[in-house]
Amino acid sequence: MTERALLRTAILIFWTLFWGLSVVDKVIPDVQFLWVGKDFFALFIKFFASLGLKDPLFATIALAGVSGLEAINFSFYLTALLSLRKAQEDATDRWFFRAIFTSVILFGLFSIADQVFGDRFQLLEHGIFWLILMASWVAFKHGALPSQNIARKMTRMGRMVLISGSLLTLMTAVSIWRFSDTTFELASSPVIGEEVTDGVYKFDFPFLADKRVWEATVNAFKQNHPELHIRYIYTGPSELNSKKKTHLLLYVFTEAKTDHAL
Amino acid sequence: MSVTMNSKHNTPQLVRHAILAYWTIFWLFNLADKLIGGAHFLWVGRDRFAQFQKYFESVGLDSPDVANSALAFAGALEAFALVCFAAAWFSEMQSDRVTARKWSFYGTLLTLGTFTFFSIGDHWFGDRFELLEHTLFWFISLASWLIFVRMEVAVDGDTPSKPRLQIGLTAAVASILVLITATAIFKHNTSDFHLRSDAVTAEPVGDHLYKVAFPFLGGSTVFENTLTEFKAEHPQEAIQHIYTVPKPLRLKKADALIFYIITEDKP
Repeated sequence: MTERALLRTAILIFWTLFWGLSVVDKVIPDVQFLWVGKDFFALFIKFFASLGLKDPLFATIALAGVSGLEAINFSFYLTALLSLRKAQEDATDRWFFRAIFTSVILFGLFSIADQVFGDRFQLLEHGIFWLILMASWVAFKHGALPSQNIARKMTRMGRMVLISGSLLTLMTAVSIWRFSDTTFELASSPVIGEEVTDGVYKFDFPFLADKRVWEATVNAFKQNHPELHIRYIYTGPSELNSKKKTHLLLYVFTEAKTDHAL
Repeated sequence: MSVTMNSKHNTPQLVRHAILAYWTIFWLFNLADKLIGGAHFLWVGRDRFAQFQKYFESVGLDSPDVANSALAFAGALEAFALVCFAAAWFSEMQSDRVTARKWSFYGTLLTLGTFTFFSIGDHWFGDRFELLEHTLFWFISLASWLIFVRMEVAVDGDTPSKPRLQIGLTAAVASILVLITATAIFKHNTSDFHLRSDAVTAEPVGDHLYKVAFPFLGGSTVFENTLTEFKAEHPQEAIQHIYTVPKPLRLKKADALIFYIITEDKP
């Protein structure tokens, strides 16, 4: 196989999966077992409501239209990928061009919508995807990727790469499992609070923590401090965090129970 | 009058070295992040295990072995991408362009494969920001390969000349700018570093209502010291609520964290 063929395959696989999974995301509504995806229906409903079009029919028609276009688009990529597999170069180029053209139209439509709905971040996101699609087409068709055959003979360097890659993989896997074994309990264990000022306790939540840890923490705190009454819980905003090191800071404000000393 | 000097490397060759160095270091640090695991002294990195665990749990797969297997697979792709780019860079240093190209190509394929794998996960788990990030990296990898190959053609080009007068002038201007910048930074450090820990004085803005405007350097230590000072200065009042001003109510980037302390009289 040539470098050119391999790179064209990599490009096609990426975009086929990209659009295939986008279609799957539209077919599976909401959050299900084995699928989260993004709730585009809720997004569209909110966008249209912000324009004053509160009837869900508008959002439903728009989403159905976009999903239909995405499905057509995906079938173009799939046909291009199958053509590439059969070594039909002309057909591959033709279908890939159609796919890219449809994708560019889709991102063009998304960008118009982003401007209408005032979502500048999504506009940037769609603009970047649009550019990458264009660049992918240039790389696929006009990138003049030289047709160089891949040498299959195992060289000394090849053996070294294989051995060191396998060793590093083994080391990484061991490290991941060890880290998982030592930290997995943090996904359910309560966090221990530290009194930072009179009656105020700080809880530094680990990255694995979620709502169950919050519940366990509050219950454990109440159990460990029967003399205290929780007045107020303050979630530390991101500005209080040490950049990427801190996940979540929680402050619990307490006061002594009046009946406890009796 | 301009005097020229001969250079050992020409521009395309330096670009090829830069591309190989970037990807080798990129994957080296990614792998180191997985090997180290967690935040330590002199290393924070990213807790990928927590990230993967939460992703898989969100789809109902809460066994840590699932997250570990996915992470180990990503680690394997990264390990092989690293050694391929390292082999390519080593070959480039030996001026063996054919071998450098071969290993760089394998490294690029593995990089494309890694980001394709990640983007499948992004669709699956509904993380659109990460999808954008991974698609961008996928594209950067593809583009850098094309540039790398193009530079192979250009590598035999002319050696650029280096006029000494220009170099001297640029070095002088750069040195002055470095001096000015460094002085400003050290001065700022001397005058403002105490804001990293000093308590902020709460300003009364209404009945039992106090405003605390944080400096940009402020963090949890400032917050805790501010609370301690506030309680010492207002012994007759109990904190009833703290209201954090949301970002839309702040003056764009000029305001750091602002919060209001609402109190009530102690019985």
